Amino acid sequence: MRRLLSTLLLAVVAGCASDDGDAPAVEAPKVAPQLAAHTGLARLTAAQYRNSVVDVFGPEVVVPTQLEPDVAQEGLIAIGATSTSISARGVEQYESASYKIAAQVMKSDSLRARAVPCAPTGPTDADCATKLATSLGLSLWRRPLSAEEVASVRDVTLKAAAVLGDFYKGAEYGVARLLQSPSFLFRVALGALEDGVRRYPSYELAARVSYFLWDTTPDSELLGAAANGALTTDAGLREQAERMLASPRARAGLRAFVTQWLGLGDLDQLSKDPKLFTYYSPELGPAAREETLRLFERVAFDEKSDFREVFTTLRTSVNPKLASMYQVPAPTRDGFGEVELPFDGPRAGLLGHISLLAQYAHPVSSSATLRGKFIRTRLLCGDIPPPPVNVNTALPEPSGTTRTLRERVAEHLVDPGCRACHTRMDPLGLGLENFDGIGRYRREDNGAVIDPRGDVDGAAFADARGLGQALRDDPRTTRCVSQYMYRYATGFYEAYEENPTIDAVDYSFRASGHRLDRLMLAIVLSPGFRLSGDPQ
Amino acid sequence: MKKLTIPRRAVLRGVLGGAAVAIGLPLLDVFLDSSGAAHADGSPLPKRFGIFFWGNGVLPPQWNPATTGAGDAWQLSPILLPLERHKQKLSVVSGMQVKTGNTVPHKSGPAGLLSGTTVQQGGDESFGGPTIDQTIAEQLGAPTRFRTVETAASRGTATLSYTGVHASNPAEFSPKGLFDRLFGDGFVEPGAGAKVDPKIALRRSVLDAVGDDVGRLSTRLGMVDRVRLDKHLTGIRQLEQQLQRLEENPPNLAACKAPGAPKDDYPDVDGRQPLAEVSRAMAGILAMSLACDQTRVFSHWFSYPVNNLLYPGASAGHHQLTHDEPGDQPQVAKILGYVMTELAAFLDAFDSVSEGEGTLLDHSVILATSDVSYGRTHSLDDYPIVLAGSCGGKLKTGLHYRSPASENASKVIVSLARAMDVSIASFGNGDAKTSDGLSAIEAG
Repeated sequence: MRRLLSTLLLAVVAGCASDDGDAPAVEAPKVAPQLAAHTGLARLTAAQYRNSVVDVFGPEVVVPTQLEPDVAQEGLIAIGATSTSISARGVEQYESASYKIAAQVMKSDSLRARAVPCAPTGPTDADCATKLATSLGLSLWRRPLSAEEVASVRDVTLKAAAVLGDFYKGAEYGVARLLQSPSFLFRVALGALEDGVRRYPSYELAARVSYFLWDTTPDSELLGAAANGALTTDAGLREQAERMLASPRARAGLRAFVTQWLGLGDLDQLSKDPKLFTYYSPELGPAAREETLRLFERVAFDEKSDFREVFTTLRTSVNPKLASMYQVPAPTRDGFGEVELPFDGPRAGLLGHISLLAQYAHPVSSSATLRGKFIRTRLLCGDIPPPPVNVNTALPEPSGTTRTLRERVAEHLVDPGCRACHTRMDPLGLGLENFDGIGRYRREDNGAVIDPRGDVDGAAFADARGLGQALRDDPRTTRCVSQYMYRYATGFYEAYEENPTIDAVDYSFRASGHRLDRLMLAIVLSPGFRLSGDPQ
Repeated sequence: MKKLTIPRRAVLRGVLGGAAVAIGLPLLDVFLDSSGAAHADGSPLPKRFGIFFWGNGVLPPQWNPATTGAGDAWQLSPILLPLERHKQKLSVVSGMQVKTGNTVPHKSGPAGLLSGTTVQQGGDESFGGPTIDQTIAEQLGAPTRFRTVETAASRGTATLSYTGVHASNPAEFSPKGLFDRLFGDGFVEPGAGAKVDPKIALRRSVLDAVGDDVGRLSTRLGMVDRVRLDKHLTGIRQLEQQLQRLEENPPNLAACKAPGAPKDDYPDVDGRQPLAEVSRAMAGILAMSLACDQTRVFSHWFSYPVNNLLYPGASAGHHQLTHDEPGDQPQVAKILGYVMTELAAFLDAFDSVSEGEGTLLDHSVILATSDVSYGRTHSLDDYPIVLAGSCGGKLKTGLHYRSPASENASKVIVSLARAMDVSIASFGNGDAKTSDGLSAIEAG
């Protein structure tokens, strides 16, 4: 009953949301409790490492890619980053990378001029070594260094300069020392107690905002706002967040989130049998991911339109490869261009994207279970427990009576050991059966016409486009993206008590007309993001 | 007598590198005793421990040899037949059960067997503690350049080698990457003398300073994060040790000779990863890294749990076949034959390195196992275990031991630790806990 009521309520909300962002009158604004999310060290992801290095030293720097691998936990790399550590192998890789980066910086005149804030008089110039430690320390560790830390970086620089007889050779060791430090490799977020409330102090908050909105280290303006204390005020934080969301760099932040949320990182390692899928080639996965990321960018930043459009839109960005698979004229000779899919075609929105259809499938076939599980867990935020052990999982082979996948997985929905979970997955995934294991349209499977009909927990759909429409209209998808983005931004799976915080964030999201950039802002301003828990 | 020369590269480094000087020192026969089985100081050749792991289990009725016993009393099953040439140097152990409970398919098995723990529910399904390879390495405290080495034959860095909760050791999946790490810059041929390079000392002083950062930061953290930073610090200390080894004389082992560099790249063939080719390249490099005493503990992740790799001729991915293929699953059996062919090739790499009066394989023990018993049902009964190498005569070989009563698989691990002269009071939590080894496989 409670669920039905909220569905009705939100249906009204959706109908009333106006473009100017006024909250609908029927639902009172939700106020987030003054409650912090979990607090802990977050290791830089490989992308954040690269972005940070390039931002500090310059775009010409070639950043080594052999780093401690990202590990997803609870489905997000952002959460893995707050629970995993650095392995012995990772220490080796970060060390090697630090010297490769430092050598490039000191070798190039322009990069060196940017990194070294003074003209050294010689290998023993302690003053210049101090200035270098102070300025690069602030950029790389995202906070001013203590006197002790400055001295440590200075001493490493001077010692190496003395041994090698050259200030800049010594500076390579100073830079490498900064890059190998846990103060660079981890985003340190500890919070500080002030007037009985534990919150993130300026610099910790700056890094939190920056890695969330831009997926990189704070720029000088944000560090300036941290330095003058503006960031810990409501107005100051809002001003910086608005500035950052208005910047093209916010696209990188949204892309990183969407990639993790939808599991698009694995598209680099798609395994498809090329004998069965003659359209498949290794560049398909990355191209398909680009299509999906461009859709989110357009909706969030170019048009600032209702996020739910991603489920129904006919407009998408394709390269010639994707265009050929969608059977539309290629908009450009190479690279991506926008096309309008046929209004009476089988494909619309996210669920028609090759990225998801190929990712959530087998190497040789589609998979109603993998696709259904994706929709259930990632789009509706439902739970699927792991399969029980000691059950026979064999599917019947295609035969005269069981030709389509729907017929073959029918046992999943009857057998009492299977059905509890599979009824939550397979019927959703079967709605996408008109797309094969790499996302090409097909009418038939093994000679039988595919029946893509189904329902989303009672909301009937006729085919893949209908499934997209049903998900668009389901308030759970909105709440789910709020929930995932909140987890992503805080780096933790929320505690039960944080649900009202997410409800409040979700309210702001809906009240804005489902604008993703407003959702990002709402999370930055939310107490869960700004208050700190006790160090874990 | 093995002819040793000063590597040209080392000399060039000394000339061109400015600060880097390498001093050649030929290995003299006097360093080894007359049989070549031990160093001149009488210390025996080191013993090595390794894991060879593949994902998605086996087909127990087709996997298990029909009869038990030693020597000619038993024959390899058809799936195990590729191992025929190694039969006298390996044992098949069947009928054992992983007793930690079966809660997470494909993870509970290796968590129980390799770490004796249950899987942490939710999240990344981390093991609850360190795996036996890491425990052995920790206990050995061997003065090798690398504490352990992790490799993979399929693309991806994931392994099930854990130093602790949420702390797994990533694998090297590029043969070139492995070669560069073990035999590239920093490797010194036996007899080539210590590397004298002031940059090594500078790198160590950087690591020292970074270690101080960890210390400063740790005092401000809660317990969970402190444990995480401890892992970071452990890695820093290990790298410092690695650098220290470079400044010492390299181990003088007669069998050590840097292998040739592998190919830069191993592209797919017909959309399938060249698993065999990569695995064999890895095996050659790994075997020589052991012969050179760069490390004494390794794990090779031929494939990962739940992998859906396409094998030659297979009509679907491996994991999908284990669940969907009807009947006796001939395609799954064929894939297992492929994996066993590669296990045999892996053992070839070890058995072809002469060491003392035997081979590297004789001074090693390699535990070959998987993530489940029967892939289709995720069963943990009748767990697949093959042990190769006698570990310097500590383990019986040429044996098929079949447990009559679903014995605790932890007993095998206890025996392996003992064979490595590592004393562990007990292994395994809950029902898996035991302080007994499996006497049937222990020699003497």
